[in-house]
Amino acid sequence: MTILEAAAALRAKKVSSVELVDESLKKIAAANPRLNAFITVTEESARTRARAADAELAKGVDHGLLHGVPIAHKDLVMTRGVRTTAGSKIFSDFVPDQDAVVAAKLNDAGAVMVGKTGLHELAYGITSTNPHFGAVRNPWDTDRIPGGSSGGSGSAVAADLVAMATGSDTGGSIRIPSSFCGTVGLKPTYERVSRRGVIPLGMTLDHIGPMTRTVRDAAVAFNAMAETPGGFVPQENADIRGMRIGLPQNYYFDKLDLEVAGAVRTAVQTAAALGARIVDVRVPDIDAINVVGRIVLLVEAVSNLGPYLGRRGDFGADVLTLLDQGRLISGRDYADAQRLRRVQIREFSKLWSDVDCIFTPCTPTPAPKIGETTIQVGSTTEDVRLTSTRLMRAINVLGIPSLAMPCGFTQSGLPIGLQILGAPRREDTLLTIGAALEDALGLGGRRPAGF
Amino acid sequence: MTDWKKMASALDPGIPDADAEKVVPVLNALEAVWRPLQASIPAGTDLWTGPEDIA
Repeated sequence: MTILEAAAALRAKKVSSVELVDESLKKIAAANPRLNAFITVTEESARTRARAADAELAKGVDHGLLHGVPIAHKDLVMTRGVRTTAGSKIFSDFVPDQDAVVAAKLNDAGAVMVGKTGLHELAYGITSTNPHFGAVRNPWDTDRIPGGSSGGSGSAVAADLVAMATGSDTGGSIRIPSSFCGTVGLKPTYERVSRRGVIPLGMTLDHIGPMTRTVRDAAVAFNAMAETPGGFVPQENADIRGMRIGLPQNYYFDKLDLEVAGAVRTAVQTAAALGARIVDVRVPDIDAINVVGRIVLLVEAVSNLGPYLGRRGDFGADVLTLLDQGRLISGRDYADAQRLRRVQIREFSKLWSDVDCIFTPCTPTPAPKIGETTIQVGSTTEDVRLTSTRLMRAINVLGIPSLAMPCGFTQSGLPIGLQILGAPRREDTLLTIGAALEDALGLGGRRPAGF
Repeated sequence: MTDWKKMASALDPGIPDADAEKVVPVLNALEAVWRPLQASIPAGTDLWTGPEDIA
């Protein structure tokens, strides 16, 4: 059930929050042995909150569309009294004494947390194959990764265990699992959703956002999470006539799986058929922006994890080698990367005078298999991590909003993701065009067999 | 090119030789693309300082 379906059913008294939560917990119990999407399930507190939500609705107290709806938090969002591991051995016993701002906001909106989802260790990677908590699996093919680092959130939402889960995105960690799991993920403008109380990875690159099964649900969740909510939810039959969609003529379509390229082109044609105007654009040097993003992240991650660097045995091998790299980058290189970042942001922002949004593929390939470190892209063999972040990382450097949403499926049944980029603080534009496309493509809310 | 292994041995806590060996090719490749970009930064460019810098 989506957020909007649950909200309608609750208000029509066709279902109670207790029943929604019971159903969610039942599904988690059945699916988690196969998916490993949850690290912690908060069964007792969820039922208590659901009873309170029902009592409030009965008294006419309504906190909005999320009132009484089961959700989950990525397990680096601090939750008062509930263990928050960040998928790491270091934080395996950490029980926060307060909620992250975003958790408090979702509480205030009446959402009911049923658990904490698994992730790549410390959110520092894209597989969610976690050395301490096991591999999270993709419900479309459980031999494949869900992506990461918000892999548990992607897996849980795709399998309909919850209607919505929080994610964090430092170099693609909301959008990559959305692409691989066929969910909708919104990485908002930098700091439009508070990072306070979310265990940091790269302070100037971290973004917090919702993962859902439909674009309109993402809008509802974003409204509840944002520091300055716009209260915007796209209408039925959203009108995108005359909207200017940028189609990059360089970089983004250069090295892609053929089925991914085809599905994204179909989305572009669909938007054009709905009345949008397709405008060819040339984007600035994205590889250069990615280099800046790598330097900034390598250093900021070390800064965040400084007190634990002596506990080498407590880190997984892939995270440890990234931390070692970060420790060797100089302060001058970090500062210069942040200076070049200012130049790159200014350069990229010129595009917004010509277009309202830009369409790109989300990931160059569908979900790789668990354990694969390389993947075939056309005729070349590429590193899974670098390939999966290639179209993502620069967007964190730029701080602009990005919506990831399904735009098709491969012949073997794996989801393919579209990325829609927008000008700063124009999440409403992305959600409008995303909703129109979702309606036209008819892919929203599709579920994997067996879940 | 930077002598990454020498730097690694000077850190406290140190990076074991075998682990330092693993990061050398990655950092060499990163440095090779980074140095020309670094040289291209216009003089007087200030640091990026936060959301107010997002146009």
